Amino acid sequence: MMFLAWHEMKRNKLRFTLIMGVLMLVAYLVFFLSGLATGLQTINREAVDKWEADAIVLTDESDKSLFQSIMTWEKEKELKADKVAPIGQWSAIANDGEEKQNVSYFAVQPDTFIMPNVVEGEAFEKPFEVIANDSLEKQGFQLGDTFKLSGSDEQLTIVGFTDESRFNAAPVIYGSFDTFYALKYGEAAEGNDTLLNGFVIRTDEKLSKVTKEETLEVVPIETFIENLPGYSEQNMTLNAMIYFLLVISAVIVAIFLYVLTVQKTSIFGIMKAQGISNGYLARSVVAQTFILSFVGVAIGFGLTLLTGEFLPDAVPVTFDIPTMLTYGAIFIVVAIVGSLFSVRTIVKIDPLKAIGGS
Amino acid sequence: MAVLTLRNVTKTYGSGDKKVEALKETNFEAERGELIAIVGPSGSGKSTFLTIVGGLLTPSTGEVIINGANFAKIKEKRRSKLRLKEIGFILQASNTVPFLSVNNQFKLLDRVKDRNMNKMQLDSLLKDLDIDHLRNKYPTDLSGGERQRLAIARALYTHPTIILADEPTASLDSERAFEVIELLQRETKSKNTTTIVVTHDTRLIDYFDKVYNMTDGTLTLERIKEQPVEEQ
Repeated sequence: MMFLAWHEMKRNKLRFTLIMGVLMLVAYLVFFLSGLATGLQTINREAVDKWEADAIVLTDESDKSLFQSIMTWEKEKELKADKVAPIGQWSAIANDGEEKQNVSYFAVQPDTFIMPNVVEGEAFEKPFEVIANDSLEKQGFQLGDTFKLSGSDEQLTIVGFTDESRFNAAPVIYGSFDTFYALKYGEAAEGNDTLLNGFVIRTDEKLSKVTKEETLEVVPIETFIENLPGYSEQNMTLNAMIYFLLVISAVIVAIFLYVLTVQKTSIFGIMKAQGISNGYLARSVVAQTFILSFVGVAIGFGLTLLTGEFLPDAVPVTFDIPTMLTYGAIFIVVAIVGSLFSVRTIVKIDPLKAIGGS
Repeated sequence: MAVLTLRNVTKTYGSGDKKVEALKETNFEAERGELIAIVGPSGSGKSTFLTIVGGLLTPSTGEVIINGANFAKIKEKRRSKLRLKEIGFILQASNTVPFLSVNNQFKLLDRVKDRNMNKMQLDSLLKDLDIDHLRNKYPTDLSGGERQRLAIARALYTHPTIILADEPTASLDSERAFEVIELLQRETKSKNTTTIVVTHDTRLIDYFDKVYNMTDGTLTLERIKEQPVEEQ
C-alpha cells in the first residue's frame, strides 16, 4: 500500500514537500511549546521533586501555601510518618552588591532527607553558611562569595552548590534554621524560634493516618505543586495551545488531502473501474499521510533540539524526550484521523463518472 | 456455456415523460475466443452496453452473468473484485495512472492481483506493441498512440476473461490500428478470451467474428464471419 503513496510523492515532489513543510512547522511548534511547558514546570517544582516526599503538612488555614503556613515545632508530636523533615521557607532578593536575584531560602536540618546533595564545595555548618542552587553559579556567584538578603543586614557565605533546586521559578538557598530565624526576624529572632512553615513527610501509610490534629492539613506532594502560585494556570494555557495545534494539524491534513483527492478523482475512478478496491486506495492515502507526518515530525523534532542548543539559559525550555515522543505519536495519529475525511470521498467516487462514461 | 450472458437487460434514465430508454431489452451471449464488434452512431447506447457488461453500471432490469456470477445483483465490493479478476478495460480516456512510470503501471497490478503475466510475457507484449523502450517514461511523456497501446497492454496484463475496448484505435494511424486489432485478435484466440470492441472504425470490420449494430438502444446482430455460429 506504500507503493502508490510513495511513487506519487516521488513524482510530485514540490507539492508533497510543501505539505510536509507545513506539518513540520506545526510539529516544531508543538515540540517547542511542550519544551516550554516542561521547562516552566521544572523551574517551579524541581526543588520539591528533589525531596521525593509523599506529602507536606501545612496549617489548614494556609490553603496549601508553604509561605502562608506557620506553625510551632510542637506540632511534630502530632505526626505519625516514617520520616518527618521540618522546613522553613522565605522568599527574598539576594544582593551581592552587583547582581540582584530572586531567591527562595529553605531552612533544613542537615540530618533530614530534604537536606540537598552537594555537587561542589561542602555542606553548611556555621551560622550564615549556605548551599546555593547551581543556577546562581551560572549567574556569576562563586564559592566563598557573600551576599545579603533583602530585609536583613547579615552577610551569607556560599560554601557549596547543589543542583536542580528551583522553587516557584526562584533558585533555592539552603541553610540552617538558626540562620533562617536571624534573617527573617533579625533582633526579634529569640522569641520567634519556635515557628516554622511545615513538615515534609515520607510514609507508606495512608495520608489520612498521618495526623488527627484539625488545624493541620496533609497535602499530597502533587497537589502541593499544583497549588504553587501560577503553576496550574501556566500549564493549562500551554497545554491548551498544544491541543489546539494538534487539532489544527488534523484540519490542515484533512484540507490538503481533500483537495488532492478531489484533483485525483478521475485517477481514482480509473483505478476503481479496473477493480482496484476502495480498501487499497484508502490504505494508500493513509500510508501517504503516515509518511508525510512521520517525516514532518522527525524533522520538527530534530529542529527543536537544534534550536534548544542555541537558546540562552534565560529561556526556560527543557526538552523531555518521552513527553516529546508522546506528542509526536499523537501528532501522527491525529494527522491520520484528518486523512480519513478523504477516505470517505474516495469510497464515494463513482468509477463510471470518473471515466467519462454515461 | 457462454462466458457472458445478458438476459432481458434494459437501462432507463429518469421517469414519466422524461423517461429515456438508453438500452432497450437486450439479450446477448458471447463465447470464449470471440472477437466481437459493436458499431453504431454515437449516443446509440454502445457505451451504456459496455459499462453494464463491465459492471460499472447497474442495469434497470435483467441479468448480466459473467462466468456464472450475476454482475447485476452483487455488491460493489464484490463487483470490484470481479472486475479486477475477469475484465480488462481499454478506455477512451487513458486508463493509466499519471504518476506511475510505464513499468510501475504493471507493478501496481501485481500488488492487487495474483497470476498476471510473467516477465517474459510482458516483455514480448510490450515489444509487440512497440512500447518496450518507454518502460521508464511517465504517461505524460508518451504520445496519444503510445498511451493507447500502454492502455491495451495494461488491460491484457491481468489475463482477463473479457476484454472491453472503447474505441481502442481512435488515436492511431492505419498501420498501427491494424496492428492493434491483430494483437487483440491474436490474444483473443490464443488465450481463449472474449473481446468486445466498440468502434467507428470501418477499416477493421473484417477482423471480427461477429458484428453487432446498436441503434437507439436496440442491439442487432449484423454479420457473422464464419460458420457455424447459430443465430440467437
